[in-house]
Amino acid sequence: MDEDNKVTKKQVIETEVPLGTVHSAAIEPYRVRLFVEDEIVKDAEITVGVNHRGVERIMEGLPVEKANSLTEKICGICSNSHIWNSVLVAEKALGIEVPERALYIRIIMEELERLHSHMLYLAHGSEVLGHETFAMRVFYIRETVMELLRMIGGNRVQYGVPIIGGIRPRAELDQMRIQKIKDGMDFVEEKITEFAERFVSDPMVMSRITGVGILKKEDAIRLSATGPTLRATGVDIDLRRDMPEYDSFEFNVITHDDGDVKSNLLVRVLEIPESIKIIRQAIDHLPEGKITNRSWEMEDAPVTKNYIEVPRGKLYHSYSLDDGRVRNVIVRTPSITNIGAMEYACIGYHITDAQLAIVQCDPCFTCTDRAIQIIQI
Amino acid sequence: MSITDSLVAFIAVIGTLIVAFFVSFWLPGIERRFHARIQQRIGPPLSTPGIMAPIKFFFKEVINPNSPMPGVYNALPIIGLIITIFLLMITMPQLYVLAAFTSVIALVGLLKVEEILYMFMGSLSQSVLSLKMPFPDIVKGAKYPGVSRSFVEELSSMRAFRLIAFGSFPIYIAIFVTVVIAKSIYIGDIVSYQQIHGPILFSLAGILGAIVFFIGFMILLNEYPFAILKTKADVIEGPLLEYAAKYRAYVYISRGFLIFVLASIFATLFLGIPPNILSWTILINIAVTLVFTMIMATVSTFSPIFTFKQFYPLVAGVSMIGILAIIASFL
Repeated sequence: MDEDNKVTKKQVIETEVPLGTVHSAAIEPYRVRLFVEDEIVKDAEITVGVNHRGVERIMEGLPVEKANSLTEKICGICSNSHIWNSVLVAEKALGIEVPERALYIRIIMEELERLHSHMLYLAHGSEVLGHETFAMRVFYIRETVMELLRMIGGNRVQYGVPIIGGIRPRAELDQMRIQKIKDGMDFVEEKITEFAERFVSDPMVMSRITGVGILKKEDAIRLSATGPTLRATGVDIDLRRDMPEYDSFEFNVITHDDGDVKSNLLVRVLEIPESIKIIRQAIDHLPEGKITNRSWEMEDAPVTKNYIEVPRGKLYHSYSLDDGRVRNVIVRTPSITNIGAMEYACIGYHITDAQLAIVQCDPCFTCTDRAIQIIQI
Repeated sequence: MSITDSLVAFIAVIGTLIVAFFVSFWLPGIERRFHARIQQRIGPPLSTPGIMAPIKFFFKEVINPNSPMPGVYNALPIIGLIITIFLLMITMPQLYVLAAFTSVIALVGLLKVEEILYMFMGSLSQSVLSLKMPFPDIVKGAKYPGVSRSFVEELSSMRAFRLIAFGSFPIYIAIFVTVVIAKSIYIGDIVSYQQIHGPILFSLAGILGAIVFFIGFMILLNEYPFAILKTKADVIEGPLLEYAAKYRAYVYISRGFLIFVLASIFATLFLGIPPNILSWTILINIAVTLVFTMIMATVSTFSPIFTFKQFYPLVAGVSMIGILAIIASFL
């Protein structure tokens, strides 16, 4: 392929198996064209954009508070990540200092969201494997995290915790809530450890996921894979290490070398105890004080960018402020590059493994479906 | 055979079939409940998957599938059901007088036809899931604009073909074990042998054969982990995808009935107890069916779906056990 995506070298592949846009192995709509020979995938083409909603376009000209709130609707899994990053952009642009207690509670929310996202991934991965029992088991454990999120944010999907200058009053943590979080973390840690031991000791599951969907380290870097997908290829990168919000917390960055489905699953499984560790640190050292800084004034600001590490990788938000309204909004989610990388990860494997190879990057299509390149005919 | 005897035999055959159908209506529900309990769910009511759902489907509007031969495609589940009925009939003692019909050869032949049906179903179905997008793939630049499309059901059809070639080895080897031990291909003789010498199951060859038979039983039913024919990860439901309304009802009923029939074949060949309404031993047939259903549900609950990478070595391994059973049966 040349730069304009034109076929430069003619290849003959006779059979195409189009899967999607609606497919039982995909919880969200996307389409995969698998070019196969004798059920072995020779090439793949993944198309996103079925659910294009134009969120950035809707955000244009909205008051910044409303725009921030709207970013939360981009995704149902990492909604907190979006609103947090969007709020961080405004705080960066306006030079707002956030009270430390609010910072800690934001971290707790983000890590809880990482927990539920990783567990959702494990459950969905198990379903694609055909192992519904594992999926049910993980959903059962995840339920505790979902209830904690509901307790703090008042909702299981859209929590609406971060606001410019701090967090919403309803997300304040009192002693009862803190105790519930502590108990919840103990439960999740115990159960997920049991699950992980059972998972890795299952020879049939290991046979399905070992050596399948390998993404080489060089390819992952070349294709801009990010987050756990990149770390599963052996690249030791986690943006949380460079984020000032995480300076007070100690955690390990999990990497794995093989780049296959097993590595992707294990990286996420092992990130769960790390997130629990961060939550415990935040709870134990939760500073006293106010949770919102209201002493700031709206100003015009040039385009301001911010990156954070979300469950799927690096999330980018940027916009400028003009008379209190947002302009030039760009949101770039980690799945857009990870999905692109998966086109390569499924080549050379059996067609049944192709879906597994694609979902190993934990794709989130509602996030991704805003980023569409429209080519005029 | 007097007219009275013939009449009694006829009533026995019909009665056994009715009992078999009645039991088979509950088997999918028992299986699903087992899945659910292991997964700490409540699960559906016992009657729903096996009988209430098919009854509901009978009252749904029939939607003709996108198929080159919709009539044939729709007829296949009914043919499958008829074949399954024949499979049960050839194990019934009242029909042993039809010597050639009640031989292991006929049994194997009918099982093969049952397998081949999936191939036909797959090749005669074209679901909308495999259709191309209504606009050219300009977003990604259309890597291969001229390739031919393959429907997911066609893929299943190819897999059914492969399964016919090797997937059903275990069940046929297990059946052959009983033939070697009883030194006869006639089911009547195999049953008689066991009435004199005791059940084949209680010998080394019988135990090995039973294990192999059970694996073959699961493969023939396309149950997890051997559900490559209808794996959710790619072909979704494969050959059965496009069946709607009453035709889907036939599919459901056939599957439940096939569970009973295969378990009955096991009871006949390995325990020497054919299904017979005139004898209390039909309760043993029902018990074997329930045990098979429960073990199958347990195995499938703890397994992912196999691809051919796992399928080939497993079938080869199980077939080796089957050959060991045959060798043991000569001892």
